[in-house]
Amino acid sequence: MKKINFYFAKIILFFSLISIFLVQNTFAEENQKDDHLSSNELKLGERLFYGLINTGENTINCASCHNTSVIDTFNWNPSILEIALSTQNMDSTTFANLLLNPVTKRMSEVHANIPLSGEQIILIRQYIDTYRTTGLKEQKKLVTRLSLFILLIVIFIAAFVDLSLTKFIKYKVVHGLIILIVLVFIFKILYEDAAGLGRTKDYAPLQPIKFSHQVHATSNKIDCMYCHHTAETAKSAGIPSTNVCMNCHQLVREGTYSGRFEIQKILTHMDQGQAVKWIRVHKLPDHVFFSHAQHVGVGQLECKDCHGLVEDMHLLKQENDLSMGWCLDCHRTQKVDFFENKYYENTFEEYHEQLKNNTTDSLTVAQLGGEDCMKCHY
Amino acid sequence: MAKYWKSLDGNTIENKDSKLEKISSTNRRDFLKMFGFGLASTFVLSRCENMTHKAIPYLIKPEEITPSMANYYASTFFDGDKYGSILVKVIDGRPIKIEGNELSSISQGSANSILQASVLSLYDDTRYRNPQINGADTNWSTIDNQIVEQLKKIKSEKGKIAIISQSIISPSTKKVITDFIKEYPTTEHIIYDPVSISGLLEANEKSFGKRVIPNYQFDKAQVIVGINADFLGTWLSPVEYTKQYAKSRKVDEDKRTMSRHIQIETGMSLTGSNADERIVINPSEEQNLVATLYNYIAAKLNQKELPVSTSATDISKLGDELLDNRGKSLIVCGTNNIETQLIINAINQLLGNYGQTISVSRALFTKQGNDVKMADFINNLDNYKGVIFYDCNPAYDYPASKKLSEAIHNLELSISLSTIPDETSVLVKYICPANNFLESWNDFNPKQGIYSLSQPCIHPIFNTRQEQESLLKWSGNNTDYYEYIKDLWNSEIYSNTNRVFDFNDFWNISLQDGVLELPENPLNVKFNYDINSIKLTEITNSGLELQFYESVNIGTGKYANNPWLQELPDPVTKVTWDNYAAISPALANEKKLKTGDVIIINSTLELPVLVQPGQSKNTVSVALGYGRTVAGKSGKDIGVDVYQMISAKDYRNYALSNISIEKTLDFKELATTQQHNSMEGRDIVRETTLEQYKKNPSAGNEKHKEIEEQHQTLYEKHLYKGHHWAMAVDLNSCTGCNACVAACSIENNVPIVGKEEVKRAHEMHWIRIDRYYSGDADNPEVVYQPVMCQHCDNAPCENVCPVGATNHSSEGLNQMAYNRCIGTRYCNNNCPYKVRRFNWFDYNNADALKGNLHDTQNMTNDLPRMALNPDVTVRAKGVIEKCSFCVQRIQEKKLKAKLENRKLNDGEIKTACQQTCPANAIVFGDLNDKESKVYKLFNQQRNYHLLEELHTLPSVGYLTKVRNKS
Repeated sequence: MKKINFYFAKIILFFSLISIFLVQNTFAEENQKDDHLSSNELKLGERLFYGLINTGENTINCASCHNTSVIDTFNWNPSILEIALSTQNMDSTTFANLLLNPVTKRMSEVHANIPLSGEQIILIRQYIDTYRTTGLKEQKKLVTRLSLFILLIVIFIAAFVDLSLTKFIKYKVVHGLIILIVLVFIFKILYEDAAGLGRTKDYAPLQPIKFSHQVHATSNKIDCMYCHHTAETAKSAGIPSTNVCMNCHQLVREGTYSGRFEIQKILTHMDQGQAVKWIRVHKLPDHVFFSHAQHVGVGQLECKDCHGLVEDMHLLKQENDLSMGWCLDCHRTQKVDFFENKYYENTFEEYHEQLKNNTTDSLTVAQLGGEDCMKCHY
Repeated sequence: MAKYWKSLDGNTIENKDSKLEKISSTNRRDFLKMFGFGLASTFVLSRCENMTHKAIPYLIKPEEITPSMANYYASTFFDGDKYGSILVKVIDGRPIKIEGNELSSISQGSANSILQASVLSLYDDTRYRNPQINGADTNWSTIDNQIVEQLKKIKSEKGKIAIISQSIISPSTKKVITDFIKEYPTTEHIIYDPVSISGLLEANEKSFGKRVIPNYQFDKAQVIVGINADFLGTWLSPVEYTKQYAKSRKVDEDKRTMSRHIQIETGMSLTGSNADERIVINPSEEQNLVATLYNYIAAKLNQKELPVSTSATDISKLGDELLDNRGKSLIVCGTNNIETQLIINAINQLLGNYGQTISVSRALFTKQGNDVKMADFINNLDNYKGVIFYDCNPAYDYPASKKLSEAIHNLELSISLSTIPDETSVLVKYICPANNFLESWNDFNPKQGIYSLSQPCIHPIFNTRQEQESLLKWSGNNTDYYEYIKDLWNSEIYSNTNRVFDFNDFWNISLQDGVLELPENPLNVKFNYDINSIKLTEITNSGLELQFYESVNIGTGKYANNPWLQELPDPVTKVTWDNYAAISPALANEKKLKTGDVIIINSTLELPVLVQPGQSKNTVSVALGYGRTVAGKSGKDIGVDVYQMISAKDYRNYALSNISIEKTLDFKELATTQQHNSMEGRDIVRETTLEQYKKNPSAGNEKHKEIEEQHQTLYEKHLYKGHHWAMAVDLNSCTGCNACVAACSIENNVPIVGKEEVKRAHEMHWIRIDRYYSGDADNPEVVYQPVMCQHCDNAPCENVCPVGATNHSSEGLNQMAYNRCIGTRYCNNNCPYKVRRFNWFDYNNADALKGNLHDTQNMTNDLPRMALNPDVTVRAKGVIEKCSFCVQRIQEKKLKAKLENRKLNDGEIKTACQQTCPANAIVFGDLNDKESKVYKLFNQQRNYHLLEELHTLPSVGYLTKVRNKS
């Protein structure tokens, strides 16, 4: 009995430690207190920014367009942090001028008739500047799945404790059932999360430049291969180098949705000689060899077969989970255009005969060795 | 069938040194704890955000670079000793592999182990990162100003300056040094070679007035005689010689002739182990034997004989064979003794070999050292005010290092241009670190009429500068060395060509090819030396003798800090990470020594013994190049330095007589990769003689047919609808030189395990070369057999894997999925060829858990990691790995064929081992292609499979060895 108690104590301690650790981690970012708002001026600036002071007929809330916290949706307008950073070296008059008399089309549309005075703008700017050091606010994360897991553990422990020590419920079957059901769910969660480890379906991080594939590929009808020009010949499809961007943006300086703000970033990168650090969306594990040349160049697959309708995306999202099962599903069903490539004709002579004699009507990738481990893993 | 030994007394090591430390201490309880923690942490981890990875494209992409795709640049390797024209594979800006350049008549597409492994010295962590004054980092302008000031001061005082270097074959560098001497006229340029052939050069000058190495053509010789010259391993230009040698020894059913090779030597060298006949002599007998041979031939040709007593060794048979093959024979000798070399020249002259197998019109320039001048310099060091050490390390590799290091402290100006800290550079005041050769421009003139270029394949990693540029700067010339080379090529080399192209095109073509070979101008030499005037030393009783030799893997010791080379087993002895005193079994018996016993030679040199069959009885052989005291982790204090024992009086003599050896009670276990020398009565290597082969092409291989007929199986046969990859290994060509092992390890990211792990038989090489002895223990016959995964069609490993991590591909590959492997090692246990390797530790830092790392040689630091091949996975702890037939190369070439909409050609895919093999012993191809080379070799009557009686149906075939015995 004593021994069991000791084990219980250990298990409880272990899980409570983990949960404390987790909970702490999740809520750690919350206590970011704005110490800088001590002065009245900053407070005034903040209230003006959020439209809490009546400044005229159309009092506006700047935050409705310029987000002040980290968001996971796509916002064409620059966030407060981006404004703070890009106007860092601007004097107040220029800043006010830019805001009241915008030059670009998009900005003049949305900023028309802002009921703000020069002084108020300076106050707002002081508030904006505080974000340069603090960064955007983090949003509270929802922890439903984690809470569920912890709850299940608690039920599990409670049932066990009752079974062996307190004995509130007389029928042991109840304990057994509870423990069984709870265990099933615990292992289900563990399995699902473990299987999903490293998989990033629907991953769509915000990029340093709000580059929209929809604007480029659909609105402006630029071919995928114009930018990703090594997709047919190399292992990597290639992320276009900045000089490729400049082919167009040498002239195109203003966009429909973001005005000059985003395009200006490319020019800055070019001027400063610094490459753009994109966030990588599609990443296969290191032990997988994947070649775009094989799939696009030889297999004649469309980009969208794996990447989804990228041309409809403002924010690039990983469409498929890129798991091995997903790869193999395609290898098992995808037909090979046998007569398109002399390599197949000359290598698989027997199949070639069968196809010519119509004893076989088509061949899948798998039939030509597409299920071999060493096609992708070496 | 030859009788192979079961075992040689004292030659099997049974873990005598069993105090191996326990590296891991995980017990069952720890395992359970980790298991529980693992389960919990999986959940925790899966809750966390995935790590964000950056994708950073070029700002402006260079035209020729495609990220993820490799480029090959032609360049040149020359370390002052060995030359190689190379192709450097560069991927994403990192040079990762060096291969031989097929356009060069010297490299012919091959490279030896040192050359290939040299890519790692680019990523050597110990390299100088900045120029240094008295050990403190400084910048280039400060150091330049100080040096120029000092040089000018010495010049005004008319003090002497010396530039010490190894052989320099770069026309531009020579001009740079000439320019420097013009600016500082009191400067002398002194050249020395760590392993000197000064005697050969002097003898040639006396014999025919040219201080060069003639062009030896082993392919044209019917009878090859090597006297203490390891021409397949280390002597002068081993890759080129191996190419020629292998060419003359290839046999097939249509060509049933081959050359005959007789080696006369002391220790068992790589070359000697390949000889058809081997004569064992002591170093002191060498001159006498050569003179006797001369007298024998001279007598038959009615020439005057030398006044010398006849050698104890009977050379009449050898003499007769040479006389029968006049103009078709070749005698080479590795000694540094002028008189002996003069007699060798005279023998070749008598036999009419000059102009046939030896030509002077393509003379080799790779060794130019002058022993006398260097000895003079060391003796008169006090007269010098300034010394510049140009890419050399005499404090280690020249015998008088003590004298030198004392003198350096008294010099006004001492400069080293070394890239890495070495024994010499730590003594000097100014260190002006040079670029690695892969970061440099240079030109080379290895042979008369043959030129090559080297080009930078990576931007200098550290704040270093080419040595030529340093010298130019100090001579007041601010030209870029690249422009300097171009100017010289324009004025001196371009003018010798037919000028079909304008200079810029000519330059670009030369740069792209890497080599420029001008047509050969036949040159006849006149012999005007009277051989009868030489003074010969009479043979005296020399007692026990010590012989020094260059090891195939470590060479002169320059690349001692290269773990790839240290872990390569010696071709003959299979010892790694050490040098040792090789003694004969007879001597071992007499002195009651066994392998691993530590002896003291001449009361100074403490070395473990290795009982070497075929070693001359009263001799001890020790390899040079070990025992570095200033080097990185992999080179420092590995083995013992014996350079200091060489006598440096005039011509360095690589042998010592009347030595004493003393047995100690110490035992030092050598880390050998082959501890079992027996075939256990099975015909693992099949061999025959040329005579029998002429009569019957399946001689020695009669069993093959028998076994083939008996094959029966319950299993269904694999169907290969597309390709069926296979490899044929010609045992008659393989010299056992190890180049394939190096190539494989570099190509496939094979980890370094370190000495202690090799002792536990944990080395990871995917290909190994087994060596077996047969015959007389005092002078045995040797066979080599490269063994890699045999990719069996009926693979014993596949059936036992509980998780299906190893299985058969549709192209006949025995494939290994590392991520499925759970490390049961059943496959390893069930493989009859023992070619599977298990990752006992995390050698590559590929594990998620940090504590598992076992990296004795710092190979997982950021810099050495740059040499990893991105197309091959690095393996984590607890998985099996093995030869994949270089599947990454197969896939690459298949894809290329598909993209070009054509058939895959035979010979297009070359595995790493095949690509580099200097003997062309390995052929890879598709068995389903009836026109392929491998298919034809598989149908030769010499072809057999390893342990074919087991019915494993390997995809690797071996061709029987044929010996040209008389």
